[in-house]
Parts: sequence; C-alpha cells; structure tokens
Amino acid sequence: MAESRPAGEPLLLLDGVTKTFPNGTRALRGVSLAVRPGSVHGLVGANGAGKSTLVKIISGAHPPSGGVLRWAGEDRRWRDPGAARRAGIATIHQHVPLVPTLSVIENVFLDRPGAWRMTRGLRAEFGALVDRLGYEVDPDAVAGDLPIGVRQMVSVLQSLAAGARLVIMDEPTASLSEKERRVVFDAVRRLSAQGTAFLYISHFFDEILELTDRTTVIRDGRTVLDEATEDVTEGMLVRAVAGRELLAAERDAGEAAAEDGPGPDAPAVLQVAGLSSAAGVRDVSFDVRAGEIVGIAGLLGSGRSELLRAVFRDDPSATGTVRVAGAPVKRSARAAVAAGIAYVPEDRAGQGLHGGLPLWQNISLPDLARLSRGRLVPRAADERARAERAVADLGIVTAGVDAVPGELSGGNAQKVVFAKWMYADTRVWLLDEPTAGVDVGAKADLLRLVRRFAAQGKAVVLVCSEFEELLSVATRVLVVRGGRIVAERDASRTDEEELLLLAHGLRAGPPPGPPAGSSAGPSAGRSAQAGRPSDPNREEEVPREH
Amino acid sequence: MSTETTPGRWRLPAALRLGNAGVVYALVLLVAVLTLAGQAQGRVFYLGPTNVANILDQTTLIGLMVVTTTMVLISGNFDLSVGAVAALGAAVCLSLADDIGFWPALVAALATGALIGLLNGVVVQYVGINAFIVTLGTMTAVRGLVLIVTDGRTVTAPDGAVRDGLHAIDGGSWITPNLYLLAGLAVLAVGAWRAVRSRQWRPPRVLVPLAAGVVLVAASPVAIFTIRITQRVLYLLVLAAVAAWVLRYTTIGRRLYASGGNPEAARLSGIAVDRYKVVAFVLNGTVAAFVGVLYAARLGSINPSGLSGFELTALAAAILGGTSLFGGLGSVSKSLVGALILITLRNGFNILNLGANWQGLVEGVVLIVAAGVYTVSLRRRQTRRIREDGPPAPPGADGTPPEPEKVVASAHGGAADRKDG
Repeated sequence: MAESRPAGEPLLLLDGVTKTFPNGTRALRGVSLAVRPGSVHGLVGANGAGKSTLVKIISGAHPPSGGVLRWAGEDRRWRDPGAARRAGIATIHQHVPLVPTLSVIENVFLDRPGAWRMTRGLRAEFGALVDRLGYEVDPDAVAGDLPIGVRQMVSVLQSLAAGARLVIMDEPTASLSEKERRVVFDAVRRLSAQGTAFLYISHFFDEILELTDRTTVIRDGRTVLDEATEDVTEGMLVRAVAGRELLAAERDAGEAAAEDGPGPDAPAVLQVAGLSSAAGVRDVSFDVRAGEIVGIAGLLGSGRSELLRAVFRDDPSATGTVRVAGAPVKRSARAAVAAGIAYVPEDRAGQGLHGGLPLWQNISLPDLARLSRGRLVPRAADERARAERAVADLGIVTAGVDAVPGELSGGNAQKVVFAKWMYADTRVWLLDEPTAGVDVGAKADLLRLVRRFAAQGKAVVLVCSEFEELLSVATRVLVVRGGRIVAERDASRTDEEELLLLAHGLRAGPPPGPPAGSSAGPSAGRSAQAGRPSDPNREEEVPREH
Repeated sequence: MSTETTPGRWRLPAALRLGNAGVVYALVLLVAVLTLAGQAQGRVFYLGPTNVANILDQTTLIGLMVVTTTMVLISGNFDLSVGAVAALGAAVCLSLADDIGFWPALVAALATGALIGLLNGVVVQYVGINAFIVTLGTMTAVRGLVLIVTDGRTVTAPDGAVRDGLHAIDGGSWITPNLYLLAGLAVLAVGAWRAVRSRQWRPPRVLVPLAAGVVLVAASPVAIFTIRITQRVLYLLVLAAVAAWVLRYTTIGRRLYASGGNPEAARLSGIAVDRYKVVAFVLNGTVAAFVGVLYAARLGSINPSGLSGFELTALAAAILGGTSLFGGLGSVSKSLVGALILITLRNGFNILNLGANWQGLVEGVVLIVAAGVYTVSLRRRQTRRIREDGPPAPPGADGTPPEPEKVVASAHGGAADRKDG
C-alpha cells in the first residue's frame, strides 16, 4: 500500500473518454481516470468491459472518439503507438513479445538506433537499469530460454530503457508462480518509488488491493468505481466488476460440495502408478475415485503441467502406467482420448482450439467419429446441434456457432474447450489452469462446471496456481514439487498457507489425508526434499522442440 | 452500423465473394481478354471446342499434381521433390517394362513414388526436420537417382507390348455429350437437393440454381458445345472429385485441416496428426510417379532432366488458388483453377503469338499479385474481426443488435474460404 501518495498534476488524465468503432459498436462510454507520477494505479474489469480498448487508446493504437486525454498537462492525441512510446508510455502485454532468438540485452535495446549491435555503453546502461530495477538478469542469456517470469522482467527493463514514465502492465502475473509474482511486485514498488507510474491491470483482486494506490473499475465501457485503494474492499471490487455478489456465494457452495465429496467406497476411475518422464515427472502414483476432484498444487516449474501431460499419455518419454476404469491406457494422446480422458490444456489458443475452424467444428473434433455416418462422413447438422447445445448449456457469449474462437473472450473460449469434451464419452477430466486469464463471472461458471463433472461421477484432476480457488473446488489436494508428490491433504483440513509452504518446500508434511492411492507417503516427501533442496523453480519452462 | 447487414438486402453467397472466389474471376477475366484479343487479331475463336479441349489436356499433369500438393500444403507441410519423383517414376516404368512387363513396371513406378513420399513424411514427422529442407534434399537425391537409373540417357519405350501399355493408360479419348445439357442437369440437381434438404422453394439459394438449370436445359437443343476429352483429363476429373469430396465431407478431410491448422491442438484432441501428414506425402509421391508415367506415355520416352521445375509450377498453382503455405487452409478446386490460369496464360501466349520470352515475367507477376490479393483480403477480414471483438456486446444491453449477424457473415466467409473442397 502506498505510504506517500504523490500529489500535484496527474501524469495521465482521462476525462469522459469514449470510443465508437466504425461499425457502430460503443466500446467505451465514458471512462475517467487520473494516474499520478510515481503511483500504481489498478485497473479492473471483466472481459469485454473495455479494458483492452482503453489500453489501446492510452498507448496510441486507437484514437479516442471523444473525451480528453491529457498527458503531462497537455491535451494529446497520439498519431500512432510510436508517438505514445516516445512520449513515455510503455505497454507490457500479457504475452511478452520478446525476440526469442536474441539475447536479453539486445531485446532491451531493440529499438535503439545505431549501427553496432552491442556497445560497451549499452552494457553500462543495462547495468544501470538493472540496478534501478533491483533484479539481476544475465544480459547474454537468450530470451527464448528464460522462464516467463524473467521475460516479464526483461520487458520491464525494455520499457525503462525506452525512458517510460508510465508503464501499462496488462495481466502481468496471469501465468506466474507466487515467487515470480513477488519479484514483479517488488520491481513495481521499487520503480514507482523512483517516480515511474504504473497502470496495473489484473483479474486478481488481492494483487490490486496489495499493490496499488488507486483503483479504477470499468464495466460496460464506463468507470463505475474510482477510489483510493485503501478505501476499497474485495467485496466492493466483486460487486463493481460483476455487478453482483458472485465469488463469495461460489465459495460457500464450494465448501459445501467439498464436504460431501464421494464416499470412500467409490471406485477408482483413474489410477496412475509409477509415472516418470524426461520432462521431470518423478515416480508419481495416485488414484482418483469417481466423483472426486483432486487438486494438484504446485508452483510454476514444479512439474504440475508435465504431470498432467504424462497422465494424458502425451509424453513419449513417460514410464509407468495409467489406467482408466482398470484398463491400461497406451502411451499416446489418441489412446487417452479413446479411453475417455479429456484434457483442457493450459494454453487455450495454442493447444486447445483451432483458430481457423468455426466453433461447431472445434467442439465436435475429439468426438468426430461418433458424429459421422460410418465414422467417415460427419453429419454437419448433428455437429451444429451439439455446438448450439453447448452454447446454451454453458452460456457461451458468441455471435453463433459459425464464429471462430478468436472472436470470443478468454472465458468464453475456455468454455468452448470444455464443450469439446463434455458431450463425448468422458470419464476423466484433466484440467490445467482452466481459469487463467478469465474474468470473475466466467471463472465462477467454469468452477461450477468442474463441480458438475464430479457430481456426474467423473474423476477430475485440477491444476490451479490459485490455491484458494483450488481449495474451493477440490476434495483432495496433492502438492507437487520437483516432479514428485510431496504431500497429500484433505481439502477441508488444509488451507492456502499450508499449501504454499508445502509447495515451496518450506514444510515437509506427513500427509494426514485418506489412504486412497497415497503411495506418495512421508518418505516420498522427504526424499524429494533431500534430492532437490535448492531451487524450486529449476525446471521452469521445459524446452520443447518444434 | 455498416450497410452490409441491412436486413432484407440480398447478398452474394459467401462462396462467390471476391475474397473466396477471386481466382475464378481472375480466370474468367483472363479468358475474356484472350478471347477478345484473339477475335481482334482475326484468329480462331479462343473458346472454341478444340482450344478448350487443348487447355484441359495441357492442364492435366499440373492439375493432377496440384491436387495432392494442395493436400500436403493443407496438412502444414511442403513438398519440393515431386518433379524429380515424377521423372523417377517414368524412368523406373520405362526401364523395367521390357523385362517384367508394362503393368508390373507401372506398379513398381507407383510404389517407388509412394516409398519416396513415405521417406519424406517419416523424416519430416518423426525425425522432425523441416519439410522444406527434407524435400529439397530428396529432390536433389532423387534427380541423381534418375541419372543412375537411366545412366544419364533418354530412355525410350520399346515398340510392342510397352507401347501398347502406354497407349492403354493414355490413348483414349471421348466426345462429351452437350455440355450445356450436362451443366443444366447438374445445376437442377443441386437446386432440387437444396430444396429437399431445406424443404423450402423460396430462398435464392434454391431458386437461382433451379432457374439457371431450366434455362440451360431449355437452351440445350440450340446451344451445343461438345469437346473431346482425353483419357488423362478423365483421371484428373476423378482424382479431383474424390479429393474434393474427401476434404470437404469426410472426417479424414476435417482432421487433415485440423492437423495442418494447429497440430498441437489436433493431437490433444486425439487425432493421429503424424499419420495424416505422412499419408499426404505418400499420396503426393504416388501421384507424382503416375504423372511422370503419363508424361512419358505422350512422348514415348523420358529424358533424365525431364519435368524439372514441375514442383514449382504445382506450388504456384496451389498458391494462386489461395492455399496457405502454413497449413489448414486451401481447396482442391481453387488450386485447380490456379493451374488453369497458369496453363491458359501459356496457351494464350502461343495462340496469340505473343513472344514466349514474356511468358515467365507475366506468370511471376500474376503469382505475386494473386498472393498479394489473398494476403490483403485475409488481413482485412482479420482487422474487421478484431474490431468486432473489441466491444463488450453485453447481452440484452442497449445498442447493437445487427452486430452478431455481421460476425456470422464474416466467420462464414472464413469457413467457406477453406471448405469448398
């Protein structure tokens, strides 16, 4: 929280900014906010509330249709993004656009004119920037090899190198581990103390409350809340963003559901035994019973995504067995799909959806044979009917089933990924960060769906870096560290803090959870401790060949 | 709101819009220009039965090739080796025919092509080397293999059984029935099918083909147009029809598009992506070998450097037809139209006696212009999509009801672009 609030003229002032697109859509209907030098200004809003449009207007990608944009006391209208950048506005996007084949320092000074690639002067300047940021980055590391958290810091350096006075960060922590989040926070605090202003966009209310000095909430293109953060509560944010009391109710329902989970005699649907892989999964065994939601708690790079991938049999180096309803599953994603395993991958656009295919073809893809005459000729009418049903069932906001996924917001696109598997013969759900980058309303919808799957007697494995969210749906939690299961907890008998400690390896846990499938006992926990004592994030970003 | 979505105003079906059917309009324009130029110079009617039959016949080899090349491109790969494979197929067939008989030799040639396709596919998919590099290598190596097989000399088919065999696969020709009548019946059938499917007679998508069909059939006793179809044209028609049907209507086609468009997502949806991509290569190699044999059948011999640059012509035709080099996008019929454009250009230069020196320059410029049109239209479509994506569009809020309709339309364009087989 800000101790010293800088007074005086705001650095950036928006007053009644509107934006009407040439096709007549009004994306912004009057947004006002003021960012003061050296302050951290939080911007919150549901998907589609107009945040992206607002960022584009501030950074010069779109001209506003009306209203005032005042930068450092002058009314401005950017001709292009370059003009805004030269004036001192830097934007850091969620998907950090660095040149993966260039070194860190080359990326940082990418737009620097001059004939030579790297001079001693630039190195000195890099050193100075690193000192300002208070975070060490190897200037000669190749950007593509770095974990996403470090890349995030490189793009902060990039904006400092460009002389930014205002840094816009769009969902900077969406795919970061807790530790990396801390690093970003520290950097933001440090730089704002030096006078750099931040416009910080996040779905995470706790971040907004912790980090920012002032919070603006926009909904349907209007500013609906603009207050000093110290006067704002999480409840106010939820109400302002969603216009309804939502998350709290969800949580209560979740706790109720978690308590009456499946009976101990429910059959094990998914049985994983001795699973290891070259990607870093080490001797993992667990069972998931029908109707059970097993949460996987781990930091980024703990091997949680690799574990899920190995369970989906998509890792050719994996050893060990995976059984669905007692029958072993061969080692290919195809066999896993045939056995009734559904996989909702972390990277929706890259792994979950076909940008070129309309929704109805996306949704029918895993189950296409069943929707076809003689397994060969798809019945388009049935496919469309299934997609229409999914749109209705899941409340997907779309123009129609002929839309392509790129036209949907994050939450709706994720619902489409769910729909791919919902009507197929699915017995096991593997969900990797299903709610990342999704707004509050859609998040609640998705979590409700996950509970519905369990209620239908499916086995669900859920990876989620939001431990609070994980606890709200899971019946049981497995803590993963260094590719091993280091602890097992009943969701009702643990809390976020304990999971964090376990995930960071700060506490070795004798797991008091139920005995079902817990081959990862205390000894496994300890050996993991002994084997990999130092760096929990060692395996971040396992390099993949393309 | 743009005028496009004004309800009640009839719009061109997506499949006929410039972004989707541009290549067809380009062909029509080209033929019109050549016809007028021919008339102005007092030459034979350009669209006469003889010349049309000629163009079709000349298009066959490149047309056969472009069908499977398009499939490889849709699968997200690239094959430069087909010219060399075609020459090898011809060389294998002619060299072996004397010893083991023509038909076994033909089978051996096709198997050779399939094998090289398999090699390409396996190295690309399972070893993971870029297809451009792999097929550049096989192109060079296979051309070398042709020299070894032929000992660097032109191989001539011996008289007798081998000539008879070559004649059997490429000698026949037939006079078609009146094409106006055929076209009329086909269009009527389409209209009737649509009427039965939708149980409606009123919409333009039913009425227009029905009316056109009636007009064509009624005119057919007066307007008569028949051409001589050679056997190789028949091969092309059959292959193209089967390929278009498979791509447009079967799970195989859907999965091929999915595998090319986003291999990762396709694999995670349980599709055997590698297998689909390898099969595309195998088909391409097989068809290449067959094309080589057809080439040799007409000449009665194969020169070891024959069909050089053939692969580039096939790629050029596919690109003219709007096939993406990045996979997931393309259609056999439009690639064929692309091939027709290239052949019509060449044919036009001959007919009009326009100095063959200019031919390469014009072909190259046409290719770049076509690619430019596709790129620009795709980009415009995408920008429009982003603009439509930006607004919140809260359901039930005041504002913009026609909006969704427009999104559907643009999305439909995208789908049709890819999916008209």
